[in-house]
Amino acid sequence: MKMYKLMLGLVLAGLVSLSAQAIEQRDYHKDVIGKDCKSCHDQGVKNYPSDQACLQCHDVDELAEETARSEEDKWQNPHNNLHYGKELPCIECHGEHKAKKPICSNCHTFKYDKHKE
Amino acid sequence: MSNKDLLGRRNFIKGMGAAAGVAMAAPALAVSESANGVKWDKEVEVLIIGSGFAGLAAAIEATRKGAKDVHIFEKMSYFGGNSAINGGLFAAPDTPMQKQEGVKDSVDTMVADQLAAGRGIADEALLRHVAEHAVEALQMTLDAGSEYHPYLQQLGGHSVARTYQTTVSCGAGITQPLLQECRKLGVHTHNRAKFDGFILDEKGGVVGVKMREGYYFDKPESGELVRIKARRGVIMATGGFAQNINMRMAQDPTLTAEVGCTNAPGATGEGMFEMFRLGAVPVHLAHIQSGPWASPDEGGFGYVSNYSIYNFPHSIAIDRLTGKRFMNEIADRKTRADAELNCRDAQGNALPPILITSYEDSKQHPNTKKVLKYNVGWKFDSIDALAKHFEVPLAPLKKQIAEYNEYVKTQSDPQFGKNMTEAKGKFIQAPFTVVRLWPKVHYCQGGVQINTKAEVKDSLTGKPISGLYAAGEVCGGIHGVSRLGSCSIPECMVMGMTAARIMMQA
Repeated sequence: MKMYKLMLGLVLAGLVSLSAQAIEQRDYHKDVIGKDCKSCHDQGVKNYPSDQACLQCHDVDELAEETARSEEDKWQNPHNNLHYGKELPCIECHGEHKAKKPICSNCHTFKYDKHKE
Repeated sequence: MSNKDLLGRRNFIKGMGAAAGVAMAAPALAVSESANGVKWDKEVEVLIIGSGFAGLAAAIEATRKGAKDVHIFEKMSYFGGNSAINGGLFAAPDTPMQKQEGVKDSVDTMVADQLAAGRGIADEALLRHVAEHAVEALQMTLDAGSEYHPYLQQLGGHSVARTYQTTVSCGAGITQPLLQECRKLGVHTHNRAKFDGFILDEKGGVVGVKMREGYYFDKPESGELVRIKARRGVIMATGGFAQNINMRMAQDPTLTAEVGCTNAPGATGEGMFEMFRLGAVPVHLAHIQSGPWASPDEGGFGYVSNYSIYNFPHSIAIDRLTGKRFMNEIADRKTRADAELNCRDAQGNALPPILITSYEDSKQHPNTKKVLKYNVGWKFDSIDALAKHFEVPLAPLKKQIAEYNEYVKTQSDPQFGKNMTEAKGKFIQAPFTVVRLWPKVHYCQGGVQINTKAEVKDSLTGKPISGLYAAGEVCGGIHGVSRLGSCSIPECMVMGMTAARIMMQA
């Protein structure tokens, strides 16, 4: 019985790591997070990461500085935008395993060249 | 209009549905339950559902009237609802800016303008109540830090200039300051919280709600169910249903998924429908308004809408098939949207009309830079270049512009009866800026019936449903057939404030 459990455990672990290998992941996340799904999926692996998950490592103010635009287009800053300020949850625009369009593209034609779509 | 026309419209809009984010999962079944034996998970004093203009104004006013424990619940991950992505246009009579600009206006005049657009079925008492308190609501936004352009605009259907617009030309210039004000006042704001039905006492009054916390909009069954008691009552500020394709097609089968929509994806109406299930009176649900200022070259409200709204008074709208004007550019929204939908090529396919403005005048509005920069509007140095680009017959276009410029001079438009006051001295001359126009679904005039106390009437008893208030687009019948532009923000805010005042008095 004990052996069986151990085997099952090994098989499951193999499956988990297999699926972790198969999924899309940003290189810099691979380095820092590796295959530990739960470090982002804090609400269970089947659920989206919570709105706080990314903030363990990322700072909204810093992101807003990095993506700041010229005075004329300052409200197009995705991390400090006209409609929602700094409060828009990350997953509205970012998908780690599946590329996503930014929410702005619902209504606007301006582009974010570095955003992975 | 023939079926062929409708097909043309569909084909034209095809592909825009995805951009406008109209896909929608079926809402889960919510239903009311009895408070008898309920185990309450939480208790609050004032419970507000929805975080647009109405919900935010209600929360601030309730706090000012002494409420200590006010909670706003928002189903989306972000706050502001549809209010955060509209034009930020606010109409009010007898304002400081009207005095400054020498505009003579009154509550009566504003109500009369709205009654005319309502085509005989608007609710005069409610329109009057809102007009009487509009300046108070405007003041609430100013106190919270909203900033407005230093000039008034005269929007379609309004007999005078009475519309303020935020400096960011967006409702977010109001929702963001109001949201921050709420937080400053200690209002509790909860996102990803989906209303899931009322909880009723033995007399059928609303004493609480079911709520799913941790709700994800793209996962309809998500969230943990909690039961929340509301000591003073529940204010429904849940908005319209313009993004609910099934519901809007049930009212108007031409409003398919392929027709563009300016609304936030959350405008799906479950709060409204749950009130109907409770017994609220449905009013004017089939009156769904399309915005005549929208562009087929971008999704949603985009940049063009505000560009057009600002420029219509001193611009000409041209049918590209004829090279002639086809409407009063500042008629009410329905008149213009209907006229635009008739602009078609010889085969009956949609041929979006163009709005021509002198750059000299259009450049006064900040959005002009944006529409040019992001290729949703274009600049031309001559009529010839413009006509060639849009394949408009040149001779009739030149003749039309010359005729219209006469109307500017004489301050009278015999062609379509446009009020030329705001066009004074603004001749159509090179260089020009041009955008294309095509209506998008924008606003639901229909909803639950309320009275001037924001109470929701029961269809069987004719009496208000105890503990229940509603404010904003979720309410119906106020504007009748066609709501005038910039009249929703004052209505949302005044009725939100009213709901809070009445609730705090009760």
